[in-house]
Parts: sequence; structure tokens; C-alpha cells
Amino acid sequence: MSAHDVAIHEVDAAKIDALLTRFLDDSSATAALLIDRSGQPLTTVGPSRTLDTVSIAALAAGAFSSTGALARLLGETEFSVLFHQGAKENMHVSTVDEQAILLVIFNDQTTVGMVRLFAKEASRAIGDILAEARKRPRKTGGLAAPISADELRPSFPNKRA
Amino acid sequence: MSVINYAAKAINFKVVYYGPGVAGKTANLQYVHKSLPDANKGNMISLATGDDRTLFFDFLPVSAVTVRGFETKFQLYTVPGQVYYNMTRKLVLRGVDGVVFVADSQYDRLKDNVESLRNLEENLKEYDYDIDKMPWVLQYNKRDLPNVAPRDYMEFMLNKRARRVPSFEAVAVEGKGVYETLNTVSRMILMSEFGAEQEVRT
Repeated sequence: MSAHDVAIHEVDAAKIDALLTRFLDDSSATAALLIDRSGQPLTTVGPSRTLDTVSIAALAAGAFSSTGALARLLGETEFSVLFHQGAKENMHVSTVDEQAILLVIFNDQTTVGMVRLFAKEASRAIGDILAEARKRPRKTGGLAAPISADELRPSFPNKRA
Repeated sequence: MSVINYAAKAINFKVVYYGPGVAGKTANLQYVHKSLPDANKGNMISLATGDDRTLFFDFLPVSAVTVRGFETKFQLYTVPGQVYYNMTRKLVLRGVDGVVFVADSQYDRLKDNVESLRNLEENLKEYDYDIDKMPWVLQYNKRDLPNVAPRDYMEFMLNKRARRVPSFEAVAVEGKGVYETLNTVSRMILMSEFGAEQEVRT
């Protein structure tokens, strides 16, 4: 297990969902995704349509990390906010803590200033929840006991095989 | 970095296909994407240059077995192989759980393989990962070409280590060896995360 490993328990997921739901109400944004910096989606709240959150998470984490590398070339620790403006939809990505980022999708119902203001507040609260979550045991319930080798035989169903 | 999501009943892992340029890393993902049933895969994303060289990464999310009620999901990434893209390679390795090293079996690429493997070890070290303590496998690709080195020679060049890792011969564009490689690395990842015995048998 590496230092980066994380577990989101039901209790933490519920708290984060409640916070992000309130954030969407406050900011009038459309959707919020909490993403691990390695590219894994942690939780999503409020997609009004079907979003490919897995791809969005991987690409946003990639964009955020390459922006971070750019910042370091300029002598900055990182650029803590990334903003993409589209014709209808916009995207705001900001730092939560050293391991997570918050991606917000919004349209002309709100402004980047509103999103930034409330995202900052929500990120701080989420950071506290994640810090608590990291203190809990990673494996509980059915995952706590060691699992036999036979149970762990992944086999991808290759339809051409 | 594995993420256990108790609310979503899912465990996510990150697998990175590493190796020198044009060794067939993207070809591995393309074959998996084309051959897996829709229920087991998401969209494949390729951030490539105009001439189809990987610029940042390819990405393909796939899912396999269910472990104690949890769906296991593997996010497959490739890195750009060319030497000068090291900064982006390093970024893609963040939070990696397992590595497939795709080597080009042709004689004239042996030096590139060795250099790329050394580069992998160095980049992992920057994240405090030790290659000898993490799940990884070797794939000797392009076995259909005429000028390939014998398997034993590839083993001598790349797998002569204190802990030898599983290795597979492959022709990734045709799918040969692709699933053997993927099944083994994902099993090693699951064993290292949840196994009763931490050592992986192959």
C-alpha cells in the first residue's frame, strides 16, 4: 500500500455529497466532481445529463498536473485554479488538498467569480473530511480479512478469444 | 493508487503501460478496447500528435471481477515513449498501482528498452515507489518481426533482477499476449492489495 491510497467510506461520501449539493445551490453551478490527482473520480454531484465522469476525471487530473509542472517552471508551487471557458459550458478546477482537486461545470446561470468564491469555501470543508477519512482503516467489512488467491483471479472477457 | 469507494462499491486501480517509443503501448490499449464487451469498458481517449505518436497519454477504463461485492476497475494509461517527453511520463505515473513494461523485441531497440526501464525506475523513485516492491510485468512485443532477439536474451537484458517478474511474448497489434499480460498484472495488483499471501504466484 502506498501513501497515496485512499478509501471513501459511506459516512464520508454522505458528508461530501451534502457539501457539494449545498455548493451547487450556493454557486448555481451545474455539476461538481471531486477527483483524486492521480485521475480517479472520487465523487460526482449534480450532472444534469450523462457525463463521462471517468474520462473527465482522467483528463482534468492530467491538465491540472501539467499546469502544475508549468507553474514550477515559473518558480511557483502550483497554479491553484484552472478555468476553461466555452460557448455554453465552462469548467473551473481548483485545489482541495495535496491529493484531490475539485472540478466544477457551470453555464451562464452564474459567474466564474461566484464559482470561485464558493468553491474555495467548499474545498476547505472537503479537505477536512478527506483528512478525517484518511485516518480511518482503509479496509473494513468484507475487505478487512485477507482474500484467497482464487477469489482474486481477474479475467477480462475477451470476446475475440 | 487504489481508491476504495464504499459508497459506490468499487475499487479503482491505475495501471501504466511504459516502454520506449513505438514499442506498442498504445496498440495494447487499442486491442483491449476493440475486443472487450461494452459492459466492461469505457471510452478510450488518446492524446496523440498528428502522426499518431502519444503526446501525453492514452486512457482506457476497464472492469474485471467483483471482489466481495466490490467491482474492480482498472484505469489503463500509456505514456509517451520518446526520451524528451520525460516530464509528461512522470506526471502519468502519479498514483500508479502496477506497470506493464512493453519492450520492443527488435535487436536495434534493445538499448532503448534498457534505457526506458532505467528511466521508469528513476521516475518511480521520485514518487517514493520501489519497482522491486510493486506489481509489474514485462511484455516482449513485436515477436512476429524477423529481426527479434531471442526471448532468453530479452530476459537477460531486462529481467535479470533479484525479483524476476512474469514476462510475455506478444504481437500486440494482433492481440497475441495482450490479455495474458493484462490479466497477470491486474491479478498481481489485487494480490498485493488484498491477498492473504503478499507474494504473487504466476
